[in-house]
Amino acid sequence: MSDLQITSVTKDFGETSVLKGVTLDVKDGEFISLVGPSGCGKSTLLRIIAGLETPTSGNISIGGKDVTQLRAADRNLSMVFQSYALYPHLTVAENIAVPLQMRQMTALQRLPVLGTVMPGARIQKQDIAEAVRNAAEMLEIGTLLDRKPGQLSGGQRQRVALGRALVRDPAAFLLDEPLSNLDAKLRVQTRAEIAELHRRLKATFIYVTHDQVEAMTMSDRIAVMMGGEILQCAAPDVIYEDPDDIRVAEFIGSPKINILPVERNGTELTVFDQVLSSHFYGDSPKVMQLGLRPEALRLTQSAPLLTGRVVHFENLGSEVFAQVALDSDGSRVTLRAMPAQRQSLGLGAQVGLTFDLSAAMIFDAEGARLRRVELAATRAPEVA
Amino acid sequence: MTRDWWKHMVLILGTIIVLAPFYMMVSYSFKSPGEIDRGEGGFFGRQEMMIDPRCAALRQPDRADIEAARARFAGQDDASVQASLLAETEADCSMRPVLFNYSKAFTEAPLIRYLLNGVIVTVSIFLIQIVVALPAAYALSKLKFWGRDAVFGLVLFCLLIPVHAIALPLYIGLAKLGLTNTYAALVVPWTISVFGIFLMRQFFMTVPDDLIDAARMDGMSELAIVWRVMLPTAIPALLAFAIFSVVAHWNDYFWPRIVVTGNRDLFTPPLGLREFKGDGDGSFFGPMMATATVIVTPLIVAFLLAQRRFIEGITLSGMK
Repeated sequence: MSDLQITSVTKDFGETSVLKGVTLDVKDGEFISLVGPSGCGKSTLLRIIAGLETPTSGNISIGGKDVTQLRAADRNLSMVFQSYALYPHLTVAENIAVPLQMRQMTALQRLPVLGTVMPGARIQKQDIAEAVRNAAEMLEIGTLLDRKPGQLSGGQRQRVALGRALVRDPAAFLLDEPLSNLDAKLRVQTRAEIAELHRRLKATFIYVTHDQVEAMTMSDRIAVMMGGEILQCAAPDVIYEDPDDIRVAEFIGSPKINILPVERNGTELTVFDQVLSSHFYGDSPKVMQLGLRPEALRLTQSAPLLTGRVVHFENLGSEVFAQVALDSDGSRVTLRAMPAQRQSLGLGAQVGLTFDLSAAMIFDAEGARLRRVELAATRAPEVA
Repeated sequence: MTRDWWKHMVLILGTIIVLAPFYMMVSYSFKSPGEIDRGEGGFFGRQEMMIDPRCAALRQPDRADIEAARARFAGQDDASVQASLLAETEADCSMRPVLFNYSKAFTEAPLIRYLLNGVIVTVSIFLIQIVVALPAAYALSKLKFWGRDAVFGLVLFCLLIPVHAIALPLYIGLAKLGLTNTYAALVVPWTISVFGIFLMRQFFMTVPDDLIDAARMDGMSELAIVWRVMLPTAIPALLAFAIFSVVAHWNDYFWPRIVVTGNRDLFTPPLGLREFKGDGDGSFFGPMMATATVIVTPLIVAFLLAQRRFIEGITLSGMK
């Protein structure tokens, strides 16, 4: 019913172009995350969807209706801000009631004293109070209704901001980094609660974050933005396992993906003069880049493809990350290992690493994914 | 003795200089004319019975009074009847100086009326200033429009224009409109306060943009944002402005003196002080100072009340 279409939206601030033609279709009820480093234009895009900024060109439509020229107030969207933006002079209950008062009551009914004697005002007031109570109960802030925002903790304010957003029935919820002011523990908890809220309300959520973990854990689809463009928009597992662009691969995943230079010499693919596969028939570029997730690397004793010394070591309990400085050029790669392998990963230890070519991603020098080359490369050894 | 003693000395000296006129004003309002002239009696004066000279002069017994009183003083000659009547008059007209000063302050001129005029004028000025300044300050701080900086530059420029420089054109304008000797003449020239616009604009700059965006998302129009969001958050700044505005216009002598000519019903409190200006028969300093004390008291009380709110204020702590 309330699909949301963003069609080639651009936004310039003076000389700088913040959005360079963004197109995105959001289905009704979908949870979509806009993720990217700061300054990538994700917040600007959200504000354009909200109607708080006007795009330089392009269109926004909600439920098939073009809303590009519509004021924010008339778009029927609700938004949760990073700073929560609660009205400091109103109580929690009044804060949550504001969107309903502004939409359901007439200007006369809203008047401070006269409003109470206007026809229908009492029934309206009761309806609104009822809706506020329901929203507060859903978020478990029923006991805080009489407090002022100044008397609440960060987590409680965050819930009030959510309550103000969901008290009416908007076409979509827009969330602008709502968790970034919470402490780490509360963030994990609230993350789960927002995801649950989405399942319960079955509403469209557009969620802006710079935290890839939030994006990975909550979304139906992730749109990775960089430099004012959407690089890739797909389900979280696709984004992680099958990125279209080296920037997406580098942004998603923690620790970061390892990038190694790879060259094609005739029919051979080589990394640091180690032949990966011979009789490789791809008509690929001479110089390419090889992306290896930390879990794609394995420790090995016999015939290692890469050798190096352990320079840093992080034990997370369930898994171990080691940074290895390669002997060939000193660059560092990160390896994910099991705790059982800890002994062989002491600081300064000399280790050998290997990997499966099928787990590697190949990108060209500019960073575009070369799936055809990968296919050829992984098949090549079998042919040989 | 700390090393900062000289700072305290300077501050104490400053305090004395500032407070001395107030001390004189309050002290004179307690004293009899003789004590004021001779500069004696300490702060409160001796509060000896004194005779109101004007009262005594008005009730000087004449021939008819003596004839009428002859029955009460049977068997006395005219001179002694007159002396008895004079003694009665003096007894009726004598009172404590403090009572004399303050009763004169209220009876000699319609001081209550003047105070009421002062309230009407200052409150109207302040309310209209808010109605003008808040939307203007909101636009100048939070809305983006072509020429905004130029408009703000004009506001700053207007801060530099002294009132007295434009008094004459203002007076002529009001006179041509037939507005002299009306409340409008006292109020209208002050309704647009560039200082208020400037002060509120500086305050609004500190209000987070998110709060305004949230209000827009909640369905508020721009004017609703001004009155429902900006006004309540700006209470501390408004109080500061209120002090400047109310004090300036309550105490203003210059402008009311120009536009109120003759009609005593429109006199503001400072104009009321003129009633005690001595012409031929010496100045009434006691009642004059009593009037001055009555005039400044509301301001001091209001300031002390506002001061608490001022410090508590509604802070923006709910924002982050």
